Amino acid sequence: MSIVTVQLGQCGNQIGFEVFDALFSDSHCPQGLCSKRENEAYQASCKERFFSEEEHGVPIARAVLVDMEPKVINQTLSKAAQSGRWKYGQHSCFCQKQGSGNNWAYGYSVHGPRHEESIMNLIQKEVEKCDSLSGFFIIMSMAGGTGSGLGAFITRNLQDQYSNSLKMNHIIWPYGTGEVIVQNYNSILTLSHLYRSSDALLVHENDALHKICAKLMNIKQISFRDINQVLAHQLGSVFQPTYSEEGSSHYRRNPLGDLLENLVPHPEFKMLGVRNIPQMSEHSLAYSTFTWAGLLKHLRQMLISNAKMEEGIDWQVRPPLSGAPTLGKMSANKNLHFNTSLANLVILRGKEVHSADLGGFKDPALYTSWLEPDNAFNMWKTQRAFNKYEKSAALVSNSQFLVKPLDMIVGKAWNMFASKAYIHQYTKFGIEEEDFLDSFTLLEQVVASYRNL
Amino acid sequence: MGVWAGGVGCGRFGPHRADPGSCEGRLVQLGRKCLRSGLDGRHSHAGAAAHWAGAGGVARPARGLGAGAAEAAPARGLGAGTRRGGARSFKARAGCMGRRRHLADAAGALPEAIAALSRSLPAGPSPEIFRRAKFDRPEAAPALWRLLFRVLSLLRADRASASRAPEAQARWVKAALRAQGYPRLGLARLPEDGSQGSRELLLALAWLLAREPLPERLLAQTRVRLGDEMPVCECGALASPGQPAPRVDTAGPVDVRRLQWLMGKLRFRWRNLMASQQEQCALLGKIHAYTRGCHGDRSLGHLSVAETELLRDPEGGRQLLQRLESENARLEAALEWRRRELVFWQWMDTVLGACPPEASQPTFPPRLRGRGRRAGAWGPVAWELQALQEELQAAVGARRAAWAARVGGQGPEWSAARQAAQEAVGRELAALRQAWARGGGRAQPHRPHRLVRTEAGGPGGPGLRAAEVIGVLRSREACLEEMLCQLQEQCRQQLARLAGALPGLIWIPPPRR
Repeated sequence: MSIVTVQLGQCGNQIGFEVFDALFSDSHCPQGLCSKRENEAYQASCKERFFSEEEHGVPIARAVLVDMEPKVINQTLSKAAQSGRWKYGQHSCFCQKQGSGNNWAYGYSVHGPRHEESIMNLIQKEVEKCDSLSGFFIIMSMAGGTGSGLGAFITRNLQDQYSNSLKMNHIIWPYGTGEVIVQNYNSILTLSHLYRSSDALLVHENDALHKICAKLMNIKQISFRDINQVLAHQLGSVFQPTYSEEGSSHYRRNPLGDLLENLVPHPEFKMLGVRNIPQMSEHSLAYSTFTWAGLLKHLRQMLISNAKMEEGIDWQVRPPLSGAPTLGKMSANKNLHFNTSLANLVILRGKEVHSADLGGFKDPALYTSWLEPDNAFNMWKTQRAFNKYEKSAALVSNSQFLVKPLDMIVGKAWNMFASKAYIHQYTKFGIEEEDFLDSFTLLEQVVASYRNL
Repeated sequence: MGVWAGGVGCGRFGPHRADPGSCEGRLVQLGRKCLRSGLDGRHSHAGAAAHWAGAGGVARPARGLGAGAAEAAPARGLGAGTRRGGARSFKARAGCMGRRRHLADAAGALPEAIAALSRSLPAGPSPEIFRRAKFDRPEAAPALWRLLFRVLSLLRADRASASRAPEAQARWVKAALRAQGYPRLGLARLPEDGSQGSRELLLALAWLLAREPLPERLLAQTRVRLGDEMPVCECGALASPGQPAPRVDTAGPVDVRRLQWLMGKLRFRWRNLMASQQEQCALLGKIHAYTRGCHGDRSLGHLSVAETELLRDPEGGRQLLQRLESENARLEAALEWRRRELVFWQWMDTVLGACPPEASQPTFPPRLRGRGRRAGAWGPVAWELQALQEELQAAVGARRAAWAARVGGQGPEWSAARQAAQEAVGRELAALRQAWARGGGRAQPHRPHRLVRTEAGGPGGPGLRAAEVIGVLRSREACLEEMLCQLQEQCRQQLARLAGALPGLIWIPPPRR
């Protein structure tokens, strides 16, 4: 079943390109470590999901590109076309002649309604090309101005028009030391609106990706391209085909559906994070070997201690000893460091994947008290290696990992709001103080729910 | 009879000839005969055959017919029996004496009838098993347990019970028969290890056969489907009791978050199902469009998925052919059974006679036509029924009086609430009537139909139009939406009442746009 991607704003378009490129390269990678027939099935599955075929020419990405200015979109289109291996549809993009300020309210209340019809038409055309629609994957930044506001508006429209289809928003969490002064306002508005209309929010933090590039990939001058490529690698390891429940004869038909069903059925808990191991530069890869036991041990500790990568993991953090929730000061200390999960999905790709032992992830102590590991933990796997990594494991997790960053952003935004700083930028375009208060309420509720896991 | 699940272009079923009412009546008559005559099983076969042949009870043991034939042990099987029976009837025919020929045919008719019945049922045992069951031979019991299990689980479309141990199967059969109202206590008392009770099992089978056209119904359920079928109504789903909801007893209070989690999972699965269904529709549409003009039957015009598979995969085609052939064989067996079944019922009369009388009176489902006519035989039964009815009426009356007394003391708000409830019910009834009238008051079709795609503006074939079905579904959807809105409103009001009742609490409703 097919996924239609909506790339929003500069951030969304750049990331979207890298994602499609990573998916395509991987599916056509010769070092799959599996039989030819399996490789073909893998390719076919990936293609059906993300690309559509034309009679002549290369596969076309199932994507709609939206931005307020033409520069980034044109760059993206040409980069894809230049590769000669896949491309974007000629008429799948929407842009205006000029940008329009970095204003969330403007994007939500003015741009959105004005261009609603054109954009939704583009999406409709893309949907009609699919034999079966699994859902939408919307890539956008959280703290941007126009792009984020527009993204929130479009997600709401998708909810209205395609209420039965699944929607996952991929959002970029801004740098902690961001430059835009109103980025906290933008963030809370985006988050609260998306929380209402989307099914899941898959979050990537710029800080984390930056560290991965610096420490693991050993890149000296980190550009956005490097960050986006790391991100695309992580997303690819989640969305590439895996075996279905019936066994290794078929690939899973609806990964988006399965993922959402397993991780975000509860309406209050929609925040997802991705971890991937191993992650390293290509030439280091040639000199490394891995065991599943080692990889999974590190991945588990990354989950528990809320580490973003396999270096610098805090091995002191342990799950609480007994299954029952502990009371008192001890638990407060523990809770500060131990990352309780609601649900986890581990995806294994590569050699001898059947021998991997996932007992560590089925420990009830990792999970909240009202869900057992049977319900909370899932595993997908395939023998086919991903992106030249002989063994790789990805973890998609619905856990407390975003509580602190979210709390920080809400706190900062509240402080600004208390003194009514910069509010007029928003009220000018129809976002009232009421809306801010609603957003604060919702996000406080989310923080509280996650804290109480 | 709504049993026939045929469709467009699928006219393989003929009308059912025997009337189930008469089958039931027949069994009642047999019951009566048993009470009256107390025939000994051994002679009644000849008696029945002779009775049927009109020969006035003259047994002809010399030819090995009649009583002797009832004991002729080995040669009643399908192949062997026909051989021997064939030989006998050949001799009889060669003798070309009318009476002898009748009796010869009568003697051979029973095993052939039973053989036909057996062929028409799934997992049907050989006629020899039936014969042994009449004499309550233990070796016949397992085969009959299996047959009953197979038949009953097919009837209830209960696939979950497919593979069970024989003891579990026996228990299940008992429960299923009891659920259907089977009256004989002897069956309930049988041991479940399959060691005895073949006569009781035979009676149970005959009871099932008498109630409804069993072979035909089973065939309808398991028929080979060639077209892309689409159910048109929900009656099947609504009527079947389905699996009982598993009751999970929780030791302590359940965390509401867990319930929300499970509800959310259900919703996602439902949405995934919707997406899969849409995909199926899109692909069906493609196949129908691509194979236009390929079908031999002009009124259909295009192939279905099964037929397309036939073309692609010759092995599959061979298997389909085999299934069709075996289904045809069963159909023919069912037709033959209908022609010959009278002999079987007469024989069942003797089987019933061979049973020791039950401690309590067996109560067949009473068809009390002309109640007064045979008051003699039915006297005690009718009297009991009368007494039971009076008892029930008294109990109901007492309960009503008690309730009215309790309610009468409630006060004005109770009567106001009652009034409101009556009005609400009246409104709902009126809405239902309106909805039914809007739907044209048509009788809804019930069988699954084959999907046929025609050119726009073309004449189309017989059968339903998609537009009509869509219209009916839309009006039904509108009704359900209204109901949903009402229920949601009720929930909201209840929540508001609860929120108001607890002071010092602030309720934050979930975010709505």
